[in-house]
Amino acid sequence: MGMVQKRKKMHSGDTHLRRRWRVRSRRRDLDQIDEDLRTQSAELINQKVDIDQPGFAQFYCVHCAKYFIDDHAMQAHFRTKVHKRRLKALEMEPYTVEEAERAAGQGSYKAPKKRVMETQPSKEEVKKGKRVLVQEKLEEDEAPKSKRKAQKMET
Amino acid sequence: MRIETCYFCSSKIYPGHGIQFVRNDCKIFRFCRSKCHRAFKRKKNPRKVRWTKACRKAAGKELAIDPSFEFEKRRNVPVKYSREAWQKTLDAIKKVTEIKERRQDNFVMQRLRKGREVEIQMDVKDVQRNISLIRSPAAGLKERRAKEEEQEAALMDEDLAEEEISYVDARELEKKLEEGATMEDIEMMKA
Repeated sequence: MGMVQKRKKMHSGDTHLRRRWRVRSRRRDLDQIDEDLRTQSAELINQKVDIDQPGFAQFYCVHCAKYFIDDHAMQAHFRTKVHKRRLKALEMEPYTVEEAERAAGQGSYKAPKKRVMETQPSKEEVKKGKRVLVQEKLEEDEAPKSKRKAQKMET
Repeated sequence: MRIETCYFCSSKIYPGHGIQFVRNDCKIFRFCRSKCHRAFKRKKNPRKVRWTKACRKAAGKELAIDPSFEFEKRRNVPVKYSREAWQKTLDAIKKVTEIKERRQDNFVMQRLRKGREVEIQMDVKDVQRNISLIRSPAAGLKERRAKEEEQEAALMDEDLAEEEISYVDARELEKKLEEGATMEDIEMMKA
């Protein structure tokens, strides 16, 4: 038989992932998104028409730094796991160079704070004056946890 | 010359080592080795990667809050060279390092001691839970059973002595009640 016996691949490798990790396909980092949320969420939600972006840059999810083609797609995105996971990731204060230095022993370590994260308001609500709020979480059930941590620190 | 810290694992970066990434918003991220750089490219969170300093400090594994950490800092203020200040700083660095190391060791030892306590508690609990493996629950069962039987027998005897059941024909009782005798009378009659 002159047929070429093709070896069955058991592992597909990580080429497809490596493409995603390339610098040219870099997406916005969490600390950049955090900055966006705090400073320019309203501008990002109501952007000017940009023909180069999907949906002419009219449907933008600030938390995920992503453009959508229409409102339906964006609303569907808000219900996805990807979006909810991103909200969860943004709940903690982003990691910074300063934190890395503090962890290295340059200054005392400061524990990151937890914030409240909610899906962005709609365009109409933003026009009426509603903004994305990034507030610290103030809850009773959080207190014992932090206390326990403090005790750990003491011991 | 400056010894930088790695963005990801917070280790020292000596000149000529590692790589740095400048993001398009001018922020500089320095990495000590390709391992850290790769982790950054994969958007790993250093707080969640167990081998980083940030994770260890956040989890309370190492001494995190201490005044001895306040000496070494990025100050961005040029200091004019003077031989005396240089000498003094060197001495101070030695002293500070010594104190810092002692405190860190102490912290770790206390943590380990606490672990030992927990271990002992767990051992005690383990023994209590599995006591049946050490001492059979059937040990002394025969004797216990014999004792119980004895007690039961004694109780039965007492019960028999107390109880005295008398049977009265229901029709007769009715007749007597109709005649006008109260229950007390009947009891009296029996006696």
